[in-house]
Amino acid sequence: MSLVAFNTQQLAPADAERYLKILERSLRSARLNNSFPDRRRLSGTVKALQRAFEHEIYDQLYLDSRVGLPNMASFTRVVTDQEMAADSLSRMSDRTELERRRDEAPIFARMADKHDYYSWLLEQELAPVDLHRVLLRRHDPSSGSASFRIELTKLDGSGLYMHLTIELTQVASAWRRKVVDLDEDGESAAANEAFRTLIYRCAALDAESLFIRLHGIEGVTVERVARGIIGPLLFRLPTVGGGVVTTLEPEGHLGTLWQHWLAGDGASATGPEVLATFASDVAAGDIREEKSNDPLAPLLSSVIEDKERRRYQAMRERYPFKVFKDRKFVATRGLKGLVKVLGDAAGTRNLVYDLRLPRGG
Amino acid sequence: MSVDGKIGLDILSRQVAYSGEGISVKTLEAEIHEERTVQDNKVGELKELRERNVEIAGAMTEELKKLRKFSDYLDGTATKDGFWAGFKEIMSFIPGLRSLSISQRSIEELLKQQYQVSARRVKEAAEYVDHLKQSEQDLYKEIDRINVKIVEMAKNEQVALDYVLELRELETELKAQEQAVNAGSVEARDIQAQIDKVFARLSEHSSNVQLYGSAEERYVSLKANTRKLLETIRNLGQDIQQYTTAASIKLDMASAQIQAIGRAADASVVMLEMKRSLDVMTESMNVTTQFVSDTQVFFRSNLDTLMDELDTFDETTTKVLDENLAKSREIEEQRIQAAIDKAMRKSEGGGAEAPEAAPGA
Repeated sequence: MSLVAFNTQQLAPADAERYLKILERSLRSARLNNSFPDRRRLSGTVKALQRAFEHEIYDQLYLDSRVGLPNMASFTRVVTDQEMAADSLSRMSDRTELERRRDEAPIFARMADKHDYYSWLLEQELAPVDLHRVLLRRHDPSSGSASFRIELTKLDGSGLYMHLTIELTQVASAWRRKVVDLDEDGESAAANEAFRTLIYRCAALDAESLFIRLHGIEGVTVERVARGIIGPLLFRLPTVGGGVVTTLEPEGHLGTLWQHWLAGDGASATGPEVLATFASDVAAGDIREEKSNDPLAPLLSSVIEDKERRRYQAMRERYPFKVFKDRKFVATRGLKGLVKVLGDAAGTRNLVYDLRLPRGG
Repeated sequence: MSVDGKIGLDILSRQVAYSGEGISVKTLEAEIHEERTVQDNKVGELKELRERNVEIAGAMTEELKKLRKFSDYLDGTATKDGFWAGFKEIMSFIPGLRSLSISQRSIEELLKQQYQVSARRVKEAAEYVDHLKQSEQDLYKEIDRINVKIVEMAKNEQVALDYVLELRELETELKAQEQAVNAGSVEARDIQAQIDKVFARLSEHSSNVQLYGSAEERYVSLKANTRKLLETIRNLGQDIQQYTTAASIKLDMASAQIQAIGRAADASVVMLEMKRSLDVMTESMNVTTQFVSDTQVFFRSNLDTLMDELDTFDETTTKVLDENLAKSREIEEQRIQAAIDKAMRKSEGGGAEAPEAAPGA
């Protein structure tokens, strides 16, 4: 494993297959609800990558070295394969014919494998690099108001995979520009380009900032902003050759703790060790108590500088919402201590799901 | 004449054992036609490859143009009115954006979409490699089959030749005996009847000598052209593989940079970084466009001629294929020489490799 480009690390096939198994197990263990990116589709991508390695379609897996998740190149590979699968299959020889000639030359074995991979891939649901959806919740033509749920799944520039849900009500009027357009039947909706872009650009902001930003738009009442974020996934995997592969460039407080752990307890670990985090962040009117149970993301109110506090409080009084942040972890036994250190320091009590892995990974 | 002095008339009643099915002008033409069909199909595949290549070339040229412009504007070399004026203009190159202002699209999203389109183009081109390799194997098999035919024809020609020689000897003996008996006697009439039979057999089998000889030559000629087609396909496959592998690696390496820069651009910062990232992407597109352009020249200069002339196995075809192969061999020899030079350098330097000259240097 090595750092091969900006924020990019590479895993060789054997390591990649073990890593993908661990990623799949971590996702399953995390019990993600619908505020996170669709786990089924993400698992589809992980399985597609696994298949691709089984069939020797790819020689390496690229990860974001900051967060330990597959990067855009890896996400794109399988999506592109799926887009091309039907056309490629139509050009290939019959599968039976390829099998019959498998031993004739390596190309027939390769084509037979590719045939299997493409045929399987056609039926899969894969994780999108980006996906926008606008869903109509309620429409009241008499008052000219309509409520929508806007969803954005995004492989963010930070390397994290996130899902953003915004519930808002819009009151239309002749002179006001609408952010969401309803079709003539009043049944389906689409965000206008500027609003869509605003959401896309601001997806990396926390729910609180996003709520304030959107609520400020004329004619729009935001009811809820929720973000579910997959990652980072920090791993230390012993390799078959006796070496170790790890997430290479983890950032922030967690990254610092991780490096300490690697140099300390982690150095003597014999099996695979994994720590995956799943953060959620909600700003909504129906939250009872404003709180952050995320040891890596305190509330804005607790970190804001004194000179800004008055202005911040005045702004919050204008908007009727509260914030709740949380983070759950999936960890192997060796890393549960690190989660406890994090939680104790921040005063949080976090869910930690146990990740049991066979010694070989 | 036999040992006991009698003439060996049993030659006439002997069944001549030719291998394969019987031959006639019609069956020979049918068999040659069948073999030719295989060649035609392969040429057809090449034609289809050319057409798709042209499609990809068109799309890639457009994408490259966009990326180049984008890069130039960011560089500040393409506009007098400042960065944003140029930026706005470049956005108009992207479909659907002509009428929108810049702020209405996310640069991160656009770059990611562009990345995906580019990744797909490279993969589409790379798919040809497997198809060409399969065609190459099909043609090897075809050459094996033609070789069997050539051997069979050569053997049959030899059988026919041997038999014709035996018949000629018998004819000579019979004519000598005819001289020794009284003209018009019963013996003379009997001998004449035998001579007529010999003539009939001679006529039949000398015709076979010609047919098998001609068939052998035509199969040899067919094999030569099949081999040339095979080498052409193999060289083209190798060229495409080189270009697409290079382009694909560049895209893989650039993905994180493109994503990061898109994000930074959305935040209206780090414009120089943006320029650098786009250069990486442009470089990848350059590599692929170079491949498309090279293969198009190849197709333009060779394929039409190949198709027109292949029907007749005439000199033009052979010349075109020979010239093409000579060029390909020259390139291949250069490649081999480069590899040998490299190996020699490595060996002389005790493992330390001398730096290679930059392409075009």
